[in-house]
Amino acid sequence: MKREAYGFLKYSLKRGISLIVVVVIAVYITILIANMGGYVDNIIKSEVRFRIGVQVNQNPAYKGLPPREKGKLIEKLYQQEIKRLGLDTPFIFRSYKYLAQALTLDLGRALYLTSDTGSRSVKMIILERLPATVLLFTTVNLILFFISLFAGLYASRKYESKIDKLIVGLSPLSSIPGWFYGIFLIIIFASVLRVLPYGGLVDAPPPTNMLDYAISVLRHMVLPILSWLIGYAFIQTYVRRTFFLMFSSEDYVEMARAKGLPPRMIERRYILRPTLPPIMTDFALTLISSWMGAIITERVFNWPGIGTLFYMAANMFDSPVIIGEVVIYAYLLAITIFVLDIVYAIVDPRIRLGIT
Amino acid sequence: MMKKVLTGFLLILFAVSLVMPTASFLVAVENVPNGPWADEVIFSPVTDDAQAISMLEAGDAHVYYYGLTDPELFKKVKTSPELWYALSYGIYNELTFNPVGPTFPGTGKLNPFSVPRIREAMNYLVDREYIADEICGGLAVPRWIAITPSFPDYARLIDVCKKIELQYGYDFDKAKEIVTEEMKNLGAELVDGKWYYKGEPVTIIGLIRVEDERKQIGDYFANQLEQLGFTVKRDYKTSKEASPIWLFGDPAEGKYHFYTGGWVTTSISRDESDNFAFFYTPRGLPLPLWQAYKPSSEFDEVAKKLASKDYKTWEERNRLMARALELSMKDSARVWLTNMVTAWVARKEVTQACDLAGGFYGARLWPYTLRFKDKVGGTIKIVTQADIPIDPWNPIGGSDWVYDTMIYRATFDPPLMADPYTGLYWPLEVKSAEIYVVEGTPVTSTLDWLALHSVSEIKVPTDAWYGWNATSHEIITAPEGVTAKAKVVVQFRDDLFEKKWHDGSTMSLADFIYNYIMTFDRADNASPIYDEAYVPDFEVFRSYFKGFKIISEDPLVCEFYTDNVYPDAEWIVYDVVEWFNPVGSFGPTPWHMVTIGALAEEKGLTAFTADKAKTLGVDWLNYIAGGTLKILSDMLNNAIENKYIPYKETLGKYITEDEALARYEALKAWYESKGHFWVGNGPFYLDKVDPTAHIIVIKANRNYPDKADKWMGFGEPKMPEVTVEGPATVITELGAKFTVKVTYKGEPYKTSDVEFVKYLLVDANGEVSAVGTAKAIEDGLWAVNLEAANTSALASGSTKLLVAVSSKLVSIPGVKETSFTAFSLEDYMGGKISEIRAQLEAKTSSLESSINSLETEVETLRTSLSTMNNMVMASLGVAIIAIIIAIVAVVKK
Repeated sequence: MKREAYGFLKYSLKRGISLIVVVVIAVYITILIANMGGYVDNIIKSEVRFRIGVQVNQNPAYKGLPPREKGKLIEKLYQQEIKRLGLDTPFIFRSYKYLAQALTLDLGRALYLTSDTGSRSVKMIILERLPATVLLFTTVNLILFFISLFAGLYASRKYESKIDKLIVGLSPLSSIPGWFYGIFLIIIFASVLRVLPYGGLVDAPPPTNMLDYAISVLRHMVLPILSWLIGYAFIQTYVRRTFFLMFSSEDYVEMARAKGLPPRMIERRYILRPTLPPIMTDFALTLISSWMGAIITERVFNWPGIGTLFYMAANMFDSPVIIGEVVIYAYLLAITIFVLDIVYAIVDPRIRLGIT
Repeated sequence: MMKKVLTGFLLILFAVSLVMPTASFLVAVENVPNGPWADEVIFSPVTDDAQAISMLEAGDAHVYYYGLTDPELFKKVKTSPELWYALSYGIYNELTFNPVGPTFPGTGKLNPFSVPRIREAMNYLVDREYIADEICGGLAVPRWIAITPSFPDYARLIDVCKKIELQYGYDFDKAKEIVTEEMKNLGAELVDGKWYYKGEPVTIIGLIRVEDERKQIGDYFANQLEQLGFTVKRDYKTSKEASPIWLFGDPAEGKYHFYTGGWVTTSISRDESDNFAFFYTPRGLPLPLWQAYKPSSEFDEVAKKLASKDYKTWEERNRLMARALELSMKDSARVWLTNMVTAWVARKEVTQACDLAGGFYGARLWPYTLRFKDKVGGTIKIVTQADIPIDPWNPIGGSDWVYDTMIYRATFDPPLMADPYTGLYWPLEVKSAEIYVVEGTPVTSTLDWLALHSVSEIKVPTDAWYGWNATSHEIITAPEGVTAKAKVVVQFRDDLFEKKWHDGSTMSLADFIYNYIMTFDRADNASPIYDEAYVPDFEVFRSYFKGFKIISEDPLVCEFYTDNVYPDAEWIVYDVVEWFNPVGSFGPTPWHMVTIGALAEEKGLTAFTADKAKTLGVDWLNYIAGGTLKILSDMLNNAIENKYIPYKETLGKYITEDEALARYEALKAWYESKGHFWVGNGPFYLDKVDPTAHIIVIKANRNYPDKADKWMGFGEPKMPEVTVEGPATVITELGAKFTVKVTYKGEPYKTSDVEFVKYLLVDANGEVSAVGTAKAIEDGLWAVNLEAANTSALASGSTKLLVAVSSKLVSIPGVKETSFTAFSLEDYMGGKISEIRAQLEAKTSSLESSINSLETEVETLRTSLSTMNNMVMASLGVAIIAIIIAIVAVVKK
């Protein structure tokens, strides 16, 4: 027993350390990629100098300045902005600072972006966007998960039935991403029928009553959810159905059937239970990834979530925000994997390495 | 009886229905409200143009605050019965050439564009009409020169500009001829239609932007170059990919030969004289490309003089401008292509002013002119392509994004209002102004609310305010011997200090003085609110600020002393009244609202500017949302508790403790009611902000002192419509008279609203042979008298008369072209003789033909007669025979 506990601890420690190493490497690679190995500094510097130069030249207040004075002013403003952006320190030093900040979850301050309420704190920027993303994508992923689970189970049970054939027939719908259906849904339901909004989080002006506000938000969620259901529900059901079919033909299931156990019991005990770990893994990872939003879907529906934030940050080379998002995702992913590994180890003794 | 009653009722109903629209309009006009026309304006985001247009058509939104440049969507807008649009001209495209060479030190490759003459030839190589009409789908107008066709300098120099436009029209053969000559001079060879240099093909690298129409423009130019025999490598790049190459990179590395450049201007520039130094000389920007420019010494000198305003008179300035325009074409470090036309779209039941450069959202007048056409009040929904608010709003160093400024500008009044069609300024909080400039300073005035005087010297009085002591909190007065280039005496409107801030407090002199102090205090290292980021701006201000003196406290009359002089007197006034007015570039600045922010900054809890916030490691101060609201609330409570008067040593003379307390209480009540600290004095107040949903609601301020119709005259630009009437033929020795009609919507354009009417004569060879000015006859009617002296040099043939009308009401000139045939007297007489001869010959020929015809007819007649004769003879014979037979028969009986 003691030996078993020691083995379990050792296994957990190894998994934990390897995950930490992976996270550190992944974060540093992200820092390098987000900054193109320091090349982004050149891009930003050139743009800052150009922007300030044009601003000074176009500003009526400076029209009367002699060219030499204008030049001096541009240089001063440029140096000031470079300092504000932290570009007066070489990238290699900044990269270590970014890494240290990221690992201690001190996400720092954005270069350009602000949170919805005006803060430059990366943490605030992400936290303010997260609820909208979680609300939409966690909802849609939950719906997708349960639809695919139960419909997949049903289809596997009714193999070769009309419904099963329908699911198989419609599964190629996922060859087109959900947001693409979203565009058509907007045209049909918002532009032509005018029964649902074009996009956004809530009606304009926002309702003052909390209940009305919530109803308005729900109305705005209908089309994005529908677009994902059309895009992904059939293929996910098809995958689950195939998965269940494979398990349905296992020897122990056949044995149970031969023993004359009721179908419900066979389904619950002999099919669902052994398939639960991979399903739960899939579910956990889907949930985590849903917190990162979906860039194009959010853009199409003007949904103010993390996906849009990532798009804006990448567009503006706002490295701290990109790094912040990736760090949070990396941490969540690592923790989830770690927890799943532990759960597997508890559930399945074969996984516990070091135990003979 | 019932039938009669019913008929009568129906008739009355019919009559009422006929007059109803008029009646409601009359009611509407009679009930002009204070403040804006609309009750409420709601801003919300959309994802793209297509969605916005769809929403406008469906009535889900009324106005789109984003420029439309998609030709296909523009076609849809034009044909939609629901929508209207206005146009602006603030975006322009050009070709930026790499001037390094003749070979790149980095690669040793030939750069043909190092030769100014080849660059100049590119003006002939590009068909600007094709680019504007075909590539840009009509959403562009051709542009040849460094000044903007929709801005005042173009109208002022219309003759020079038109001359250049005619001179540099599309001429592929001419371009080819020049390029061939210059390429041979460079040592290149044309082999099988391809240019080679030192055995290798001459390859042009085009850095082509891909985000907009510049991709097609780049491809078109590349095709034209290939037709000249160049090998072209098309390097497609986004803005961010291209900027390190053309902006930051050294042009000597030879990574590009041309770049498809684009520029944006969001307000009408009345003085574009510094464009030449900016676009063509190393003084433009401290970037490697600019440092590689080598303008000719004459061009450099002219550009420098213009940028430094080194001229004594307006005429001298315009002469320099004309020369700079010509020399810039010879230099052609840039070849200008098009001015993009941006469409601003709204539903037909809504109207508003549109700035010629900045569009709907760039028009400072939008809050004052936005309305439903047929009713007063109502809610207007505006959509835009931005997640508003983008950055924190604070009145000292908050957001300067146009998507934020367009909204918060509705909440405060500027002292002077920018005219969206001329770029001049009209008084709003100012009543009148007197401007004194030192003799020899080229300044003009256009509008009648100000008076301009020239004086030999302007001394700053020693009791004028000159600075601020941040330690003792006292005002410093001007030392002896300070002089200024201009003095402006501004009389503010009489009811200025009756005006209310949105929280109910009344504007006072303390608001002005507080802003005076803040201007200096923030730049002083001894101050707790010192901000390093503000210093460069302040130093510029300090360099031209010479003094400020309050002459009368109520009504407020002030003297401003400055060295910052603009060509337009209106601009000088605009500049100085902005200095200490309690509204700034970033928002309204009533002293009690700014003070609580300053207190928070003093304590290091937040900061007005992003730079200082970063230095302190705190949040950027936001008056409308977020965590800093709590900080402001705490500061307000502290101020109330302490009956705090900022800079008490000075402001204590203008604010009592009770007044301070009253203001703070008003602000507190405002915060409790609205949930933000944004307090303005404009026609709208900020009602609601949903930062997560990106929705902002502003509502009408009905306590506003002015009526909504104050700015009605600025609803649309009064573009002069020009027609020219005159003879189809002109004898050059005799001259000719043409009549020019200038109208707007069919009504004569007032002579007093016209700056000038100029004409150009372009002869049959395409040369400008005469330039002159038309004479006013009456409102809307002008005469172009082409004296013999003007026309005698004209080549015989088809001649163009181009008439340009420059208006004081709109900066875009009205231009009309007409054609006539010019003849010298000799040619004319010869022509006439030839004509008469031809006519005689024609008549002779016709006569001959008639005679011939007559002869034929006579012959025919003769033949007919002969036939008839024969017939008669035959008939006679038959008759005789018949008679004989009859006689014989009778005789036999």
